[in-house]
Amino acid sequence: MYGGGYIFDEPNRKQQREEQLHDDPVKLAAFEARIARGEKIEPGDWMPAEYRRQLIRLIEQHAHSEIIGALPEGTWITRAPGFKRKLALIAKVQDEVGHGQLLYNAAETLGKSREAMINDLLSGKSKYSNVFNYPAKTWADVTVIGFLIDAAAIVNQVANSKGSYGPYCRALERICYEESFHLKQGHDAFIELATGTPAQKEMLQDALNRWWQPIMHFFGPPDKTSSHSEKLMQWKVKMASNDDMRNQFLDAYVPKIWELGLTLPDPLLRKNPDTGKWEYSDPDWDLFFEVIKGNGPCNKERLDVRKWAEEHGRWIRKALMRPEEMERSALPVA
Amino acid sequence: MNDSLDPRVNRLRLDKNDGSFKVEEGENWNVFEVFHQEKRGAHHEHVGCVHAPDANLALIFAKEQFGRRKKCVNLWVVRSADILAFDLEDEDMFANNPDKTYRDASGFKVMEKINKFKAHTK
Amino acid sequence: MQIQQALQELITKMADDELVIGHRNSEWTGLGPVMEEDIAFSSMAQDKIGHALALYRLLEEHFGGTDPDQFAFLRNAADFRCCHFVEMPIGSYEFSLMRHFLFDHAETVRYQALALSKFAPFQHLAGKAKGELKYHTLHADAWIIQLCTAGKDSRERMQAALDNSFQLAGGIFEPGPAEELLIAEEIYPGESALYKQWLSHISPVMEKAGLVLPEMTAPVYGGRTGKHTPYLQQLLNEMGEVFRLDPEATW
Repeated sequence: MYGGGYIFDEPNRKQQREEQLHDDPVKLAAFEARIARGEKIEPGDWMPAEYRRQLIRLIEQHAHSEIIGALPEGTWITRAPGFKRKLALIAKVQDEVGHGQLLYNAAETLGKSREAMINDLLSGKSKYSNVFNYPAKTWADVTVIGFLIDAAAIVNQVANSKGSYGPYCRALERICYEESFHLKQGHDAFIELATGTPAQKEMLQDALNRWWQPIMHFFGPPDKTSSHSEKLMQWKVKMASNDDMRNQFLDAYVPKIWELGLTLPDPLLRKNPDTGKWEYSDPDWDLFFEVIKGNGPCNKERLDVRKWAEEHGRWIRKALMRPEEMERSALPVA
Repeated sequence: MNDSLDPRVNRLRLDKNDGSFKVEEGENWNVFEVFHQEKRGAHHEHVGCVHAPDANLALIFAKEQFGRRKKCVNLWVVRSADILAFDLEDEDMFANNPDKTYRDASGFKVMEKINKFKAHTK
Repeated sequence: MQIQQALQELITKMADDELVIGHRNSEWTGLGPVMEEDIAFSSMAQDKIGHALALYRLLEEHFGGTDPDQFAFLRNAADFRCCHFVEMPIGSYEFSLMRHFLFDHAETVRYQALALSKFAPFQHLAGKAKGELKYHTLHADAWIIQLCTAGKDSRERMQAALDNSFQLAGGIFEPGPAEELLIAEEIYPGESALYKQWLSHISPVMEKAGLVLPEMTAPVYGGRTGKHTPYLQQLLNEMGEVFRLDPEATW
């Protein structure tokens, strides 16, 4: 699962100018024409340096979001109520690690190794979806994540799967297929609580209230404040605007929440019948940027846990390293 | 700092962590491309890749990463470095294939000739 | 003791072993040494919990037992019949790998015997588990051999993990009081026969790996009679935490 929002780097103007000087104008025109025709770009193809840089950043952060996203739910595996929920949750968290694996491979085809990406995650240089910096306090939180965060991620991923980079699209094709199971199992567990005992319903409403703001943050700041989209949209790296995706999500899922008799903590939330667009209170964007900077409730714990895993697995990875073989090592080919 | 909400995290004793940690280049081993066979008699199709120290573990890893969900009867793994492919710019070598109708059934109008013959001999 | 009761005890201890080790191994999901292994280990944890569920269903269907969720997640430690080996925390990956290797070979010989059982539902279960267990032991053997032959440090870690695990693994084969009945009815061959088969399964791998097989001097018994380490109750509290909020509710 993944949320966009703060994915793309502000282009470094000076660096960009220099790169553009090096971008062969004939090749650039051919590249842009291919994308305009709907062709996919493959790893060995010529591509502008800025395209490569932004794609690595996009896919890498998507991959990080999967393996960090596995943590808040992973800790509920032992506590999941009953066999069905337990097995579904392990399978779901496993899929997330699997998605991370697919996405790191896709990013590697652009020339950055998995090791380098993991290091950038651990050092905080590279981000992951902000939504995972919030705690999953009760079982109801797990159902909210499983239903609504996954739903939001699907909106994002379906859009991205129509992008221009072949390996990313292929990874997303499989990811979207598996996400449909995640969404279904999440919705099922969510409905179970919504239609269950008063205590279950209360637990769910409480979780929903706490998660609403992070969910509104999920697609990132409003379009009017984000500046660097045009080129990325032309290159089919960024496939939909933040506000469009947010609107699409609200349109599909708010009715599914309301139909269960649950409420959302925003008195202004409504669909404007004239524009067909959703209206809502602006979530606290200062808080959003604070959490991205590392000051959310769980940032430290998430990275500490990831570091623990890397540290404890190190001797195993190192024991089986074969330097003589590495000379013939390569990044994935497709 | 063992005060996480999560019992599993508390058991990890994260307080023993000592700040920075770096993964070494090569620690995630080699890359192997994975080919998936859906049923006996079908082609093996490329589905992705795994990182593994050798082909043996690559196959073991591929079984769960690429064979756990959809129907699968067999897998191949081959080191990515051993894949030889054309440069993508060499696509033009294949460009005229559709024009070479003499290689294609559609290039031979048998019925036309038979009908013409029949019409002629009537 | 009646044969029915003896059979129930056998099923319960097998199921409890699978349930607890499945939960333990699932604690690695998301924390494995490398993503590919994380995925593989997680699948095998799912299989274990799946085997537990199938066995609890046998109790429900053939012996008038309760619903598997209720039976699995409401009992306390004293009513559990798992061995101490599966209760132990995940520790380091070498311990978890070694436990996986020793346990899964034990499970394999057990299911191979059950494939020939006069109790027909066992044959069915054994048939279903066969392919899964083949993968589990293939995975375990590959890891054990690779890590043990990858230099001194890693061989020593694996030997230490084996030394720490071996007496605990002996507890898998703690004899039950009514085994003779089951043996006589050809329902299963009894723990000491399984133990011997287990040794014959693990020995060649150990030899290939260059591991020194310890003597089984003091197998850790007690689990089969409801005596457990404190780790079990802790884990059971966690496993039932949500379910026990309202066992009558559906979750």
